[in-house]
Amino acid sequence: MLLKKIDIWYLSSFFISIIVAVPIITVFLSFFETTGNYSSILKDTFLYEYIFNSIILLFGVLLLTFIIGVGCAYIVSFYKFPGVNFFKWALILSFAVPAYIYAYSLTAFFENFGTAFSILKNLFGEGDYNSSIPKFDGMLGAIISISFSLFGYVYVLTRASFHYQSQNLIELGKNLGFSKKKSFFKIILPSARPAIVAGLSLVAMETLSDFGSVSFFGISTLTTGIYNAWISFDDLTLANRLSFFLLIFIFGLFILENFSRRKAQYHSLSKGGFKSKSVITLTGYKSLLAFSFCFFVFFISFLFPVLQMLYWTIIFPKHFIDLKITELFLNTILLVLLSSIVLILFAFISNYGNRVSKSKFLEALTTFSISGYAIPGIILAVAFITFISWFDNNIVRYFGINTIKSIFIGSILGLVLVYFVRFYSLASNGIKSGYLKINYSIDESSYLLGYSKFKTFTDVHIPYLKNSIFLIGILIAIEIIKELPITLIMRPFNFETFATTAYVFASQDLLEAAAAPSLLLIIIASIFILTTSRYILKD
Amino acid sequence: MIKNFLEIENVTFNVGNKSKVNNLSLTIENEGDIICLLGPSGIGKTTILRTIAGLEKIQSGKISLKNKIISSKNIHLDPEKRNISLSFQDNCLFPHYNVIQNIEFGAARNKKKKKDLNVDDVIRFLNLEHVKEKFPHEISSGEAQRASLARSLLSKPDLLLLDEPLSNVDQSFKEEIQVKLKKILTELKITTIIVTHDSYEAFYLGTKCGIILDGQLKQYDDPYNVYHFPNSVEVVNFLNRGILIPAKVTGENSLENDDLGTIKGNFIKHYPKGSDVQLLLQPEDLEHDDKSNLKLEVVDRKFRGTNFIYTLKTLSNLLIPVFVHSHHIHQHEVDEKFGIKRPIIIDHIVCF
Repeated sequence: MLLKKIDIWYLSSFFISIIVAVPIITVFLSFFETTGNYSSILKDTFLYEYIFNSIILLFGVLLLTFIIGVGCAYIVSFYKFPGVNFFKWALILSFAVPAYIYAYSLTAFFENFGTAFSILKNLFGEGDYNSSIPKFDGMLGAIISISFSLFGYVYVLTRASFHYQSQNLIELGKNLGFSKKKSFFKIILPSARPAIVAGLSLVAMETLSDFGSVSFFGISTLTTGIYNAWISFDDLTLANRLSFFLLIFIFGLFILENFSRRKAQYHSLSKGGFKSKSVITLTGYKSLLAFSFCFFVFFISFLFPVLQMLYWTIIFPKHFIDLKITELFLNTILLVLLSSIVLILFAFISNYGNRVSKSKFLEALTTFSISGYAIPGIILAVAFITFISWFDNNIVRYFGINTIKSIFIGSILGLVLVYFVRFYSLASNGIKSGYLKINYSIDESSYLLGYSKFKTFTDVHIPYLKNSIFLIGILIAIEIIKELPITLIMRPFNFETFATTAYVFASQDLLEAAAAPSLLLIIIASIFILTTSRYILKD
Repeated sequence: MIKNFLEIENVTFNVGNKSKVNNLSLTIENEGDIICLLGPSGIGKTTILRTIAGLEKIQSGKISLKNKIISSKNIHLDPEKRNISLSFQDNCLFPHYNVIQNIEFGAARNKKKKKDLNVDDVIRFLNLEHVKEKFPHEISSGEAQRASLARSLLSKPDLLLLDEPLSNVDQSFKEEIQVKLKKILTELKITTIIVTHDSYEAFYLGTKCGIILDGQLKQYDDPYNVYHFPNSVEVVNFLNRGILIPAKVTGENSLENDDLGTIKGNFIKHYPKGSDVQLLLQPEDLEHDDKSNLKLEVVDRKFRGTNFIYTLKTLSNLLIPVFVHSHHIHQHEVDEKFGIKRPIIIDHIVCF
């Protein structure tokens, strides 16, 4: 029976999932290997601190992103006030600012003799302002940086859920005599719950795998623990084992997210059931309050880091002039193009394979493999290097061939392959959600009209999903432009992107030199976001 | 030599592991025949179509089309290789193509096949001119169903399968489409299996009708016979066009009912004198006669446009339907008495 199911689509999907799953399998296998001395030292010293910090960071970020994301989504969905149409898309620009660049801006502004100090000095003259300027560093700084960089996930998903919420639901509340407050807590919020949980799960996964900002603020989390185990103690097995614990944690969130998404299907509305909402026009102080809240979030999440980077770029023009902008731009675009093409192509093939084979095993394997999204980029890179070294030593040498390491390590090919594993879930989930909208009887209709599986794929699915493909391509582009640890580890010698250039300067405490590449990174990412804002807000 | 156009032999139709229709055998003898399958919802009619189309596999029996096995335990020809077209009940138009593109998608197959049918003709014939540039979400479900039908017709299949093809079409429009559909299917000799729960539609369109009940094909015959000579109580109850009343066989051509008296006619099956039977009494079997001394009480009157269906109550509380032309002058209200012409003569007597 199983053999009958196996065809070229089945095999393609199977192998793609296996490739993506290799790092996860590596991490799981490490559980059975012996670790170095660092393991026991760590257990007696910092392990609980790592876990404690990770939990504090996680809950801090979840709370803040929930308040900002749901608050903004509610205000722009249900009320009309000056600027509401602008805020609807402007609030997603926060996606363009990576948490680590936000962290640079936060530090640069509030540090001793930083930008805040300069502003106060220019306004009020010389004085001891440093003591009265609040300091957003350490855990608080990390929570703020990550939250304002990631709240967009909660905002976009919750807003979409509010947008498609039927007016009938709200009118039902009125019929039952509910106040606005009661309607919000009893009807609107519960019906958007799956979307909110889905958004928060994404935030949680990103937070747990964040490296750039926590390392900048010197916070010891499980991710930095993994990094230390590998870099400082050269204990790859322990690094993998720590990743295993992190993965277990993330798997829990993943199941939660999957569960809530499955429930979300019940929220799809039939053709006749949707009645567009009538929004409430705010006037007076209520209008001002709504505007202020949205403007505050927009300012803090996007304008603030942009202005801080712009300020430094202007006052330190030398760094901008010295920057090889064309080369960095071309390098970034090269990575974006190659990765997007590979990711979309393979995600498409794999999803189609799952669809036509209707195999529960393949479905489960794909779900397992795409959890690679939650593995910190560092671990993916290290797992890849480990695997290539093993393959080179044990397989390639066996056939008498010289080393193949140089083909995969420190090369564009290797970099794109690790990106492939890291962002496969983004591409795969995107295509999958597109496919969920295509009733299976559409495929059957095509077969019955004489179209083969391949022709159905090319003539029905690809044209139908072209918008999804475009959107996924842009989302991948935004992620790759911002991506840091994998690029740092896997890039060829002397190959720089805006992200790596900014990081290299920031790690040398040359924040003012990091400003120009950071600013350009934000601008390019913003352009990509604006291109797709219509789709992101709709879907 | 082709014996039958389509042969279904002892096939059990399953959805997953659950059997829906057991051990069904059915043949379509000639190319161009139109078969209608009737049965209540959820009985497995759609499963039969999906299996013939190749969308479901079979574990026993075999299905042959034009003398070639297309499904059996070991053979399964892919749906795209069968040249069988299935028009689904819920429209399955491609959402990203407009109506004309959807229809042309069907026409792209079998371009060379000589069946005198082109896109414009079909669009005109199914009254789709005004929606041909629209997308599926912009048209009504009835229009979508007709577009789906057009797409299937234009694919010029060897066998066309239609799953409740007109269920969403407006009543005012339905008969017109039925007439056109029958004309096109007959003229082009497109062999068709139609699944429907509308017996009038089945009787009009079908060369033969199959009644599926309790997971079995209960009767497979031409529409006249299915209506007038149902072969089981289940079929009578399903068609719901008459009632069964108790009677005693009194002679070669007669029987007796306590309320109606003597009933004469030709038995379609022999019963010994003195047998107690259930007689099928259909609305058109009794005639109205105000002068008759057999009077029954009117308990309900349904106006059906061309006719009235009176429901009459007998002394033993049997409820009997009687058909009366709607131009009939003497109408009766509920609770009034209604005369039945005697002697009662029924052309063919069906008993169980």
